[in-house]
Amino acid sequence: MSDKISLSLRVNGASHALSVAPERTLLEVLREELRHTGTKRGCDQGSCGACMVLVDGEPVFSCLSLAVTLRDREITTIEAVEAGNELHPIQRALVQHGAVQCGFCIPGIVITAKALLDRNPHPTVDEIRHALGSNTCRCSGYARIVEAIASLTGERP
Amino acid sequence: MRYAEPETVEEGVTLLASTEHSRCIAGGATLVAMMNAGHIAPAMLVSLHRMRELFTLTESAEGLWIGAMTPHRVVAAETRLRGSMGVVRSAAGQLAHPSIRNMGTIGGSVCLADPSTEMPVALVAASARVEIAGPNGRRIVPIEDALVDRFKTSLGRGEIVTRILIPRGVEGAVGHHLRFSRVAGDYPTVSISLTLSMQGDRCVHARVVVGSCGPVPLHVTAADQRLIHSVLGEDDVAAAGQLLASAASPLDDVRGSAEYRRMLIPRLLGRALSQARELAHV
Repeated sequence: MSDKISLSLRVNGASHALSVAPERTLLEVLREELRHTGTKRGCDQGSCGACMVLVDGEPVFSCLSLAVTLRDREITTIEAVEAGNELHPIQRALVQHGAVQCGFCIPGIVITAKALLDRNPHPTVDEIRHALGSNTCRCSGYARIVEAIASLTGERP
Repeated sequence: MRYAEPETVEEGVTLLASTEHSRCIAGGATLVAMMNAGHIAPAMLVSLHRMRELFTLTESAEGLWIGAMTPHRVVAAETRLRGSMGVVRSAAGQLAHPSIRNMGTIGGSVCLADPSTEMPVALVAASARVEIAGPNGRRIVPIEDALVDRFKTSLGRGEIVTRILIPRGVEGAVGHHLRFSRVAGDYPTVSISLTLSMQGDRCVHARVVVGSCGPVPLHVTAADQRLIHSVLGEDDVAAAGQLLASAASPLDDVRGSAEYRRMLIPRLLGRALSQARELAHV
């Protein structure tokens, strides 16, 4: 393991002073140092989207982001999506539409959908499908996930 | 592994030149995936994140200079990339998924030199030029000279791609990128980038480049020549497509056999040309 580097990461509005090796990914630091285990480790290759977080409001793969490169950036994880024990509307819609099965992919999907709806509150179904292109779900076949997100926009898939 | 975040390109060049097995890190989308898989273990990573000049976009009489650290998302939204320069914008907007476009950078795409991704194909179609900084100063080379083989560039030790020039190109021309993939967001089975200019129903300029069909983007001057002065009729497209297909050296892989890729080229060419004509309203 390489020499550690001291840095401060801003996660969900709080600053964390950390000492991490340069090859450590944001995913590893979130899960192992900060115990934010809502962000899931899937493929480590940017193919499954289970590790998605927001960096300055844009979805990025935390498994492909080195923590040391993210100083001064605003990082948002699934832990910050729910407010005051209230599910976020995206989470509620996913539950109501029966889109949540094993649940492993869901944090990444919620994060990706949140980034989409924050920027574009009325995406078309195609735009929803395209935005979620980086997120793999091995249970649902995607139909209910897309239905759930579309239900928030007034679109019908 | 050592890690450095120099603030100037010159400092970065010195670091890269002085350390064996050192690598630049731009967006990380490919480099970190390779590190995670254990394919590479650089002795030193030189981050480009603090080099401000690599993030700038500068318009000049020649065209638009795009800093190497510009993410594909920004390129896809850059309205100054119009006319034939639009081929680069079109390709950036279709590349992979939004989350990859947030991470991957135009300079990273050049340095990766993956012949099955969008950006090298579009840059060749746009006749882009690449500025490279190294221990002996800076040089500007045509994109074709930077891309020498599958995942191989002409960059030497200590060299960094600093910015890419997208020239204005032919007056009145349009640029377009068309990809065919098994599912949206996957690597293209075949892609076509082109710039096109029409006078009436006659083609006066065409530059067609094919991706995923060889170690570097495939450009065949004879295919362009076959289209120029034609009305882009079925025979013209078939003949140009045949020239491209004969020159192609695609691989067999999970996305399509070499034979299938060769068959796709003329069909995609016809579709790309008609879409480009719609853009040009002729």
